[in-house]
Amino acid sequence: MELYSPEGLRLDGRRWNEIRNFECRINTHPNSSDGSSYIEQGNTKVICMVQGPMEPTLRSQANANKATIEVNLAVANFSTLERKKRSKSEKRMVEMKTTLERTFEQSVMCNLYPRTVIQIDLHVLSQDGGLLAGLTNAITLALIDAGVAMYDYVAAITAGLHDQSPLLDLNGLEELDMSTLTIGVIGKSEKLSLLMLEDKIPLDRLESVLAIAIAGSHKIRDLMDNEVRRHGNIRSSKLVNN
Amino acid sequence: MSKNIEVSTNEKTYFLEALKSGIRLDSRAFDEIRQPEITLSKKEYGYVELDWGTTKLAVRVSAEIRKPYEDRPFEGLFMINCEISSMSWPHFDNQKNSNDEVLIARIIEKAIRRSNSLDLESLCIIAGEKVWCITVDLNFLNYDGNFIDAGCFGVMLALHHFKKPDISIVNGGEDIIVHDVNERQPVPLSVLHVPVCLTYSFYNPGNKESNLKGEDDDEIYLLDANLLEEQNREGSIVITLNKNRELIQLSKNGGIPINANVLLELSFKSMKIVDRLTEKIKEVIKKHEAERYEELNLRLLEVGADR
Amino acid sequence: MTFQVRTSLLENVDGSAELQIGNTKVITSVTGPIEPKARQDLPNQASLEIVIRPAVDLASTREKLLEDKLRSLLQSIIVRYKYPRQLIQIVVQFLVSDTSSEGEIDYTSNELNAAINCCYFALIDAGVALSASFASLSISLNDGKATYNPSLVDLNKSDSHHVICFNIVKGKADKILLLESQGDIEEEELFTMISNAVSECEVIHQQQRKFIKEKVDNDYVWKQ
Repeated sequence: MELYSPEGLRLDGRRWNEIRNFECRINTHPNSSDGSSYIEQGNTKVICMVQGPMEPTLRSQANANKATIEVNLAVANFSTLERKKRSKSEKRMVEMKTTLERTFEQSVMCNLYPRTVIQIDLHVLSQDGGLLAGLTNAITLALIDAGVAMYDYVAAITAGLHDQSPLLDLNGLEELDMSTLTIGVIGKSEKLSLLMLEDKIPLDRLESVLAIAIAGSHKIRDLMDNEVRRHGNIRSSKLVNN
Repeated sequence: MSKNIEVSTNEKTYFLEALKSGIRLDSRAFDEIRQPEITLSKKEYGYVELDWGTTKLAVRVSAEIRKPYEDRPFEGLFMINCEISSMSWPHFDNQKNSNDEVLIARIIEKAIRRSNSLDLESLCIIAGEKVWCITVDLNFLNYDGNFIDAGCFGVMLALHHFKKPDISIVNGGEDIIVHDVNERQPVPLSVLHVPVCLTYSFYNPGNKESNLKGEDDDEIYLLDANLLEEQNREGSIVITLNKNRELIQLSKNGGIPINANVLLELSFKSMKIVDRLTEKIKEVIKKHEAERYEELNLRLLEVGADR
Repeated sequence: MTFQVRTSLLENVDGSAELQIGNTKVITSVTGPIEPKARQDLPNQASLEIVIRPAVDLASTREKLLEDKLRSLLQSIIVRYKYPRQLIQIVVQFLVSDTSSEGEIDYTSNELNAAINCCYFALIDAGVALSASFASLSISLNDGKATYNPSLVDLNKSDSHHVICFNIVKGKADKILLLESQGDIEEEELFTMISNAVSECEVIHQQQRKFIKEKVDNDYVWKQ
């Protein structure tokens, strides 16, 4: 089973620079949250719900100058091939949670909502590679749906290196076998908000992997933008104009 | 002294203004690390005390024989314990792990354990039954910024310094005799590569919006921040490289966005420092070995046994 | 018998000391009086948070027991009524200690002894009020013969091992603050051991005084 055939096809028939099927919906849970989204990146499925800005439950969380962002990450036991119980305080989960909190603290205009907390709840239903990227995209959309002021989209994607060739948007099997770079890019720029590389790659190959990943992020940003506009148009068409 | 002292506005402004004028408060260059001072234990193998500027830590490596994991019968066990007590800084809680502590532990683990810097197969004694379990205990004594870089350097030093007791297998694999260090020369560990972590901290002198939206890259980045610099920073990235120009891991856990070009530039610049630090480890260990050799007069007793 | 001690090593805490005695090296930090957490708040005295970290591996119930013993000692000797509604945080980190191999008894007496003596210097460095000085001694008895600050080899051969701590008033050992014993010992033997320990502890105290005098001289060098 070759991950990347000599003809340039991957296991799922994609080429090196093609992203997986990207589906997203916003305002999926209008009654239970202020903003919500559902993202499918290939087989990775994530639900995100945002509550806030609201009064913090703990007085200690209230920051006098800006909003506090709180991320809760719940990965379902059935999300991977083998059913596995995950504790919330597992180091890997805490690392992802902290990374997401710190990423969005930068792109949300926190100074507009002092003494409040923005609570973000993530539910991972299925994992097939690109988890951190999927979570980031889901949060971006949910925050937009909630109407929280943001400077720009944060679009995230993974890319990897197989032998000498970079591959975009890795699925679960590919992630196991090669080093994966996850990046979160601000809008259409080349500014990186989030960056995680967990396995070795040769330093001289970093540039090519980074380049394809940034291009991929821009594509994801466009797809997310389309969905936001589509949803916005539908809702505004329901308004009765006098 | 109080637990959660915030940095005063005065101090913060002074620090940022100095940075804008190109001055770092401890008069280092922006891309200069603090020089580590190393104390290797003469009495036992695997104990190192490291002074990274004023950040102090002690690393200890110990080994014991255990049963391997069932799905990996040919590999030894390797664990890194990295708990921070309130001795290093009252801000750290003794009871629970704060987010910062978890990040520090994860990054050190990714850099050293996940990257296979220690050859686990060489730790196997009897496949499926007995393997060496190497435990590294990182004790942080004083916090003046940058536990990650200092911790990673300390662990690699200690792993190079450590020697495990020699063993013989008798009775056709039934019993193992662990030889005392005085009986037979202990054996060093097989380290495959030396990862070196470097932490860059970012500061934004302009306002947030221009950083996010604009094309201007006037973020300031400092290598190896001390406590004051860390408390005032707006973002950081940990780049782990080894001498073979391999990027072991990259971690940017949020914080202020940086341009991709800057990232590449920093990674390339870091290579020189990584080379220097790797050399330093080898040099210090070699010198220490030579001293030990002299002390124990091993030249007279050397039997040409090759292992 | 002699120990090497250094103080004021750590920057972020109020007081610290590093002590090496025999094959045991320990570093202690004292922070306080500082703001306590709500659950630690005592209305008319200081609360003590004592944490002991071993040289190898993570802390277990063994360290909890040592913490408890150290607490019983420090609770009485620190003038807690002077700092009501405050917290004094003491962290003891063992850097080097004798480790017994599998199957042998795990001796904690040397560690406890080192921790107590180190705490003394750290508390003085931090300027925490103590009602008296205290000095501790680790003893192993083998056939009636006492060895002070025994090594692991001595401990393995011993019939019983003890840790004894006296408080020192006017240079003389006054009361027993802590006496931990393990092993077989006759009543006669025990009392003889205690009487002999008195003079030994006074010697240790003289060394403590000498060190502290030098330390104060150094600290106030600008006054000369």
